[in-house]
Amino acid sequence: MILVNKDTKVIVQGATGKMGSAHTKRMIAYGTKVVGGVTPGKGGTKIEGIPVFDTVKEAFQATGANTSVIFVPPYLALDAGSEALDAGAELVVLITEGIPPQDAAKLVAQVKAKGAKLIGPNCPGIITPGECLIGILPGSIFKSGPVGMVSRSGTLTYEIALALTESGLGQSTCVGVGGDPIKGMGYEEALSLFKDDAKTEVIVLIGEIGGSAEEEAAAYIKANVKKPVVAYIAGQTAPPGKRMGHAGAIISGGKGTAQSKIEAFEKAGIKVAKTPSEVAKFVAEASKQVARA
Amino acid sequence: MNLYEWEAKKIFQEHGIPVPPSHRITKPEELRKIHLGYPLTLKVQVQSGGRGKAGGIQFAKDLKEGETKSAELLKMVINGSKTESLLIEPRLTIARELYLSVTLDRSRGCAIFIASAEGGIEIESSKNVVTMPIPYPYHDFVGRDLAKQVGLTGNLLNKFADLANKLYKLFESKDLELAEINPLIVTDGDEVLALDGKITICDDALGRHKCFAGWQETHMLDLSDREKRSKRAGLNLVELDGNIGILCNGAGLTMATMDLVKAFGGQPGNFLDAGGGSDTEKTLEALEIVHDNPKCDVILVNILGGITACDEVAQALTAFMKRHPERKLIVRLRGNNQDVAEKMLAESGLKLYPELEEAVKQAVEQSKGKQLAGAAR
Repeated sequence: MILVNKDTKVIVQGATGKMGSAHTKRMIAYGTKVVGGVTPGKGGTKIEGIPVFDTVKEAFQATGANTSVIFVPPYLALDAGSEALDAGAELVVLITEGIPPQDAAKLVAQVKAKGAKLIGPNCPGIITPGECLIGILPGSIFKSGPVGMVSRSGTLTYEIALALTESGLGQSTCVGVGGDPIKGMGYEEALSLFKDDAKTEVIVLIGEIGGSAEEEAAAYIKANVKKPVVAYIAGQTAPPGKRMGHAGAIISGGKGTAQSKIEAFEKAGIKVAKTPSEVAKFVAEASKQVARA
Repeated sequence: MNLYEWEAKKIFQEHGIPVPPSHRITKPEELRKIHLGYPLTLKVQVQSGGRGKAGGIQFAKDLKEGETKSAELLKMVINGSKTESLLIEPRLTIARELYLSVTLDRSRGCAIFIASAEGGIEIESSKNVVTMPIPYPYHDFVGRDLAKQVGLTGNLLNKFADLANKLYKLFESKDLELAEINPLIVTDGDEVLALDGKITICDDALGRHKCFAGWQETHMLDLSDREKRSKRAGLNLVELDGNIGILCNGAGLTMATMDLVKAFGGQPGNFLDAGGGSDTEKTLEALEIVHDNPKCDVILVNILGGITACDEVAQALTAFMKRHPERKLIVRLRGNNQDVAEKMLAESGLKLYPELEEAVKQAVEQSKGKQLAGAAR
């Protein structure tokens, strides 16, 4: 497992909002150690049985947490993220969708300067099944096992996790890095953690059209990752020039096509599944090989 | 949102970036009121690229030629993009052309300058291009650094640096995705001007810039009615040619569903990503938009509820079926609050498909039956 486990203490920024409170409840029900919430002006109150603080600094000091998950509206997200980093957060998970990319870039600059980690924005979060769920993923479809997953999509991650779980293939950790063009953690950072993680035997990489992150990941895997990797690319039939939902999912000037990404993976010796169920099939095959070796 | 050239130039001017004198017209006879001196340049205002190649820029030596050409230009459609108006400028004598833009670099995760000592070019295919990551917070020496890297000297170095600094400040203060001057020209009188400009505003930032209030409505010239409705409702719609309407939550899942439909021999009629956390009202509007596509024979709904609650979707489905009992629906619904949703839909008689591939196969089969029936009629 990577980044989060049963000992991870989390505070929720925006815990008293509609989304924040609903998912605080879900995270606690899953077993995540949610130790506090932050909503300026509501310090001293409680939500879902946990204490609410006015500032992140106060929440970290009182609870010993060093991880924050953010559910605030888009235009407040840069400030919320900056506050968490300034208070010493080592991991920030930014769920909010619709953050202006220049705000994301300003946050990424701070993350780099502080040596912290940022997952998101516009992401489903991270789960180490059976231990810790941070974000909005539906916990029930994941189960513990040897497959590490990293993905640019939310619901497609659930689809593939479901296919894996139903085939008896559990997951070590699943990271949804988000669909925005400017974001914190990318494939490389997640892969660098999975490759050294003892529990992870096979890695699943879920990509989509737009940008060149998949091509860069293929080169990184070829040079650095010995574990088997199975890839899946969404948008194989997407028309060029159209933004397919995610701000980052667009084929422009003939670049960012599914074809180019699939070719990059195949050249690096990485199997590319055509359907979500084929991902499970390829992972099962790879697992057997790992067991034999 | 892509701005028209005339809007970009107005914004440039407001930020101290010099542009040629100009007038915007929507009728050929308006040329008579313009006193810029001939020859004139007539430029169609479209939200698409490739304008020059398509013949969207013409010159006129006198009023008569200007009116004839304006009448033709105003009717032009370039890459599906309609002409909104014409921008009229004097024809300038160009001593030198340069290129300058600011945009976001997704690999580096920061803003970048792109600049070149050659202008009026397609920047992707040009060799002499300087790309420079922009540090945050910003300082004016960055502009000088850029001008130096481009290879400029003397007076031009300072003028270019000043423009780069102004362009970046505009980019940051207005939350742009792209601010481009191509070409940036030096006239025979040593004036430095933005001869053409492109600005893309980040849609997600529109809400915090009062100066752009209402602009989204005036920049929908190239969208279909259903695309306009989607935009207003905060849904992501892309129209396609087939007869299977697709409605999912999440961009990746919607693309994957579309890919599966094709893989099983069906033809997607649209891509509609209802996004994360859509409530009953938004989901219902999404269903109506897919339903209103005259080419649509079957609607395939694939929802995996994380932040979206299945019961909200079930409520929308129930309301939709009451309005349109004849509409063929194939629904796959799983995730948060799935049990509540199943109970709600049990009474309606709607069959739910737990497996995605089963649902897609069913939708493709139904769509083919419809096509055959249509052909027989």
